[in-house]
Amino acid sequence: MISTREFLRCLLGGALLAPFLWLVGKRKSRQPAFLWQIDPDKCIQCGKCETACVLGRSAVKCVHQYAACGYCLFCSGYYQDKRVKFDTAAENLRCPTDAIKRKYIEDPYFEYTIDEEACIGCGRCVKGCAAFGNGSLFLQIRQGICKHCNQCRIAEICPSHAIVRVPADTPYLFKRPPEVKT
Amino acid sequence: MIPILAQARFPAPEFENYTLPQLQLETLVRDPIVWRVSALLLFLVVTGLCFYRWRSAKAMRLLALAGVVIFGFLFTACPCPVGMFQNLIAAFVHEHPLGFGFLLLFAIPLATALLFGRLFCAGACPLGAVQELLHWKSIQIPLPVDRALRLIPIALFLLIAVTVVAGMALPLCSLDPYLPLFLWSCSIPTIAMLVLGLFVSRPFCRYLCPYGVLLRLFALVSWKNPAITLKTCITCRLCEQGCPNGAILPPQDAPTPEEQALGVRRLTRLIAALPLALCLGGSFGWFAAPMVSAHHPAVRLLEDLEAHRTNDAVEAFETSGTPLAQLQNEVAQVRHVFDWGLPLAGVLLAGVVMAELIAENRRRKESRAYTIDPSLCFCCGRCYAACPLNRKHEENKGTAS
Repeated sequence: MISTREFLRCLLGGALLAPFLWLVGKRKSRQPAFLWQIDPDKCIQCGKCETACVLGRSAVKCVHQYAACGYCLFCSGYYQDKRVKFDTAAENLRCPTDAIKRKYIEDPYFEYTIDEEACIGCGRCVKGCAAFGNGSLFLQIRQGICKHCNQCRIAEICPSHAIVRVPADTPYLFKRPPEVKT
Repeated sequence: MIPILAQARFPAPEFENYTLPQLQLETLVRDPIVWRVSALLLFLVVTGLCFYRWRSAKAMRLLALAGVVIFGFLFTACPCPVGMFQNLIAAFVHEHPLGFGFLLLFAIPLATALLFGRLFCAGACPLGAVQELLHWKSIQIPLPVDRALRLIPIALFLLIAVTVVAGMALPLCSLDPYLPLFLWSCSIPTIAMLVLGLFVSRPFCRYLCPYGVLLRLFALVSWKNPAITLKTCITCRLCEQGCPNGAILPPQDAPTPEEQALGVRRLTRLIAALPLALCLGGSFGWFAAPMVSAHHPAVRLLEDLEAHRTNDAVEAFETSGTPLAQLQNEVAQVRHVFDWGLPLAGVLLAGVVMAELIAENRRRKESRAYTIDPSLCFCCGRCYAACPLNRKHEENKGTAS
């Protein structure tokens, strides 16, 4: 004779096993480990990535795809729309933390690099670059900083649903195929 | 609004002495799920030994500290078993990725609860462990209030289940008040819960944790139950006063005929009121449905579009070029889920309330001793320390050796 308690215990144990059996059943469609990433084609640079991340300093950083860059003298990701002068004074620059560094290469070209320590992922430079430039700057979740939360807080509030899950073997989403390694 | 696509407005210059710098993007993913699962298993074995074999409150406190360090900081607190039921529901209903590791994270604490009670809550749960450590002086919550507040997690569990089915982002993960702590940051709910936790034992575990609902259900019929003392209880009531979680059941005498008659009368009344309660719960859910579904991002977006408001979501929707019909379709589906799910959840909640009331009035087994209610016990071991019989036992051992 089996007691009510024992019966309920067996029932709950069975309920616990059921999802495993279900997962084994559809094993073929099981996807590999997933990471959070920003789809740059969907991103509208609203600036929420900067503040929504659980981390005090967001895991989202600007990434510069050098191969797509025009190396412009007057970079619209670097300079404000309403700049007074083309110099490096703070009121003329777009980046609020001075995270974009520029280096003279040859006349009239400049190389722009992102200082990752300083970048806060606000996306202002991305917006400027996309509006008037080549769109070589874009936001990405840095997998080394990301805590891989079960539910990304940025994805929760992202107005354009730009935060998607990507397989672990392709952790970054580029606008174009990644640069050919030299 | 200009679509954000890489476009060659300015062709890349041809340099003489310059090579393109390479992107340095790290691809490493920290702590794979296998380590997390094995650490959890190992930790639960140690917890079981401390609780059942060594029966030591001190060891349980140390385990809570170890739990905070290991599962809070060493492995970041997210993903943790507490939120995994959402992943499971999302995987059933939507195409949410769910690996065996995540499923094991969900199932191991429940299997433990089925066998040995809520050992997971003691230290292996970083949220529980942090509350256990940062608890100073207990304010005993009156038992009826405690039992009433314990309905909140059940309601929350049902609400979250319906929301996940409706396709919203997993909501519990952003409700977790202790997560910022493990990431070395802070928020107002964190501070509020920590301050509350100084005086009220485990406020999150008892009155919010939806996973606790499942653990409670599984521990209710657990195979092995802890005993406060291995000797004969002298009913001194010290363990009941020592338990900050209201998990100790007092001794139960055989009911007098008057009590029995009263109990039967109450029971009949409760059972007669059951259909009414279920209807009430269902209609409450039905009235709540439009209010809850209004928080769904798709519903909000459609409302903003129809009212010609402009915000980021509207801008993003207009740039993406998704047809309006698709959005309307999605919103209709979301509303459908809430319109059916919330009344169902309301009925279930009313059923649980009535079942608890009936359980309060049913004839309990006679017992001459204080016993632990395994469904409410967080395995902190305080009652072991409070029981004078256990203390004497230790003293005797000390003099003997």
